[in-house]
Amino acid sequence: MERRSFTLFVLPSVSVMTALMVVPLGTTIWLSLTDLLLRDLDSAPFIGLGNYAEVLRDPDFWRATRFTLAFVAVTVPVEMALGIVFALLLDRVGRGRSFYLAALLLPFIVTPVVGTLLFRNLFSRGGLISWLVEVFTGEPFVIDGSNVRFLIMLHAVWHVTPFAFVSVFAGLQTLPQERVEAAAIDGGKFGDIFWHVTLPHLRSILFFVAIISIMDSYRVFDSVFVFAGNRFDDSHTLSVYNSVVALDAKIGRLGKGHAIAVLTVVGIFAALVPFLVRSYKEQIAERA
Amino acid sequence: MSGARRIAQRGALHLSLAVIVLWSVLPLLWTFQTSIKFTRDVAARVPVLWGYETTAAAYRAYWFDDPATSMWRVLAVLLASVVLITVPALVARRSSRPWIWHALVVVAIVGSLVYVARRFDTSDQFEFLVNSLIVTVATICVSISIGLFGGYGLARYSGKSGAVILLAALAFRALPRFAFVLPFFIIAKYLGLLDSRAVIVLALVAVNQPFTIWMLRTFFLEVPKELEEAAMMDGATRLQAFLRVVIPTMRPGIIATSLFTMLLAYNEFLFVRVLAPTNWTLPVGIVSLAGGESSKGITEAAAAAVSITLPIVIVIIIFQKHLVKGLGAGAVKG
Repeated sequence: MERRSFTLFVLPSVSVMTALMVVPLGTTIWLSLTDLLLRDLDSAPFIGLGNYAEVLRDPDFWRATRFTLAFVAVTVPVEMALGIVFALLLDRVGRGRSFYLAALLLPFIVTPVVGTLLFRNLFSRGGLISWLVEVFTGEPFVIDGSNVRFLIMLHAVWHVTPFAFVSVFAGLQTLPQERVEAAAIDGGKFGDIFWHVTLPHLRSILFFVAIISIMDSYRVFDSVFVFAGNRFDDSHTLSVYNSVVALDAKIGRLGKGHAIAVLTVVGIFAALVPFLVRSYKEQIAERA
Repeated sequence: MSGARRIAQRGALHLSLAVIVLWSVLPLLWTFQTSIKFTRDVAARVPVLWGYETTAAAYRAYWFDDPATSMWRVLAVLLASVVLITVPALVARRSSRPWIWHALVVVAIVGSLVYVARRFDTSDQFEFLVNSLIVTVATICVSISIGLFGGYGLARYSGKSGAVILLAALAFRALPRFAFVLPFFIIAKYLGLLDSRAVIVLALVAVNQPFTIWMLRTFFLEVPKELEEAAMMDGATRLQAFLRVVIPTMRPGIIATSLFTMLLAYNEFLFVRVLAPTNWTLPVGIVSLAGGESSKGITEAAAAAVSITLPIVIVIIIFQKHLVKGLGAGAVKG
């Protein structure tokens, strides 16, 4: 395709992304240097890096950062491991595949805030699991500050695993059967075949799933807001901390909120640089 | 391998899958049976698992302001609209002019909504449902039509700037909502657009665009170049070849990308909460409803959860193959 038609074809997409993403992002950076308040949007006094200094000294910011990183570090590997297991199991099923597929996809479809409420119903007093815990331990399970982080992570695993599962499952459909059979004839055990044939075949898919899951887990908001919103302050992730600071009805500090947003963006980019570089090299190689 | 061992292996396989199915559907099943119970059974210390009396009271309370609304009449209207929607949809599959029947499907959906709004004393939640539908459909239409051009350009152009745009899009895909939502809020407030559906659609189209062009691009890569080259040899311009020859082959890609866009728009919570102080969609409505801890509130929130989930589950079941194919395409090429 000639350069001129390419420009015309990508123009709508690129203008939408510039006007509605690059410009707001620039505004975010600029406003992070002001002391803009939610109740008075007309004056934005410039205060330099004051917001950043304040955020970096705020223990709530560091607590939210720690929990966000822990959330990503725990949930992403668990989701991927479970996704691989589910996909390997379903790959062996002949009849009934579409039934299992539909059932296993369900958590991925359910609206995150709704899914969170489903979990809350199971685990609060009168819920099935709360009662089962009572049967075994004598005390009903009650959601409190000590276990809300666990529930947030459990819901995330429930919600995101189907994404890893379906991606891996799709990848398994393109695995050349001859290679698996050849390895089996050579006397390979299931574990050997998995490590030396299946896993290398899935490499680029797992890379893709990892990068998408890291992005989405890092900015998790909905479930944390519903589970911990105004009840469990110490279980906030960066996005929820950001919303509490910026949008509190009384003292909503938009300036400081924008500074938190900028620091969050810097954080995810720092983490993603190796992934982005790899992706760019692949794109260039494809074109050569 | 001996027969007995084989049967044992298959049994173990299906047993483990049954456990996984239970893990996937149990939360929704539990909430569903909460939604049809009387509050006395919900409040029971030992959960009542079967033999309880059922009621549609929670659904009535969620959808209607008038406590005397007959749920049998609601059910009859619902069944009638399902028939009116599915019949033309099924006929369209065999018809040589499917667009007429597709238009009838749209008329049936809109007609049912208008009828319910007029004949019943509906609650705020019904307005949120209408908002959800409008926002979702508008986001899909705008996103996909812009994205088709972008995705096609990126699939066919081999210059370096294509790689730069794709990479920038991938980087934007990583940004947290708060990188944009506060400026959106401030700008919308200045322009008087706060609380409008348009501003939510704009915001959703923007955050969805990177994903849309990546996914549509992978589908365009599968379309052979010879197809449009032949049309262009016959005198069509690039644009004509794209619209008349390439687009018609893209049905699976358009459906798959639309499904993911639907999930994004229908499920969105943060943008709506910030940009629409009163004109909510369903997810914001249920969160405000579920704040309370009373047994009555619990059954109504449960009815809300089931009501919100049902429409997307139906759509996804109908188009399940496309969704799986879409994830596969993204994963294999992406």
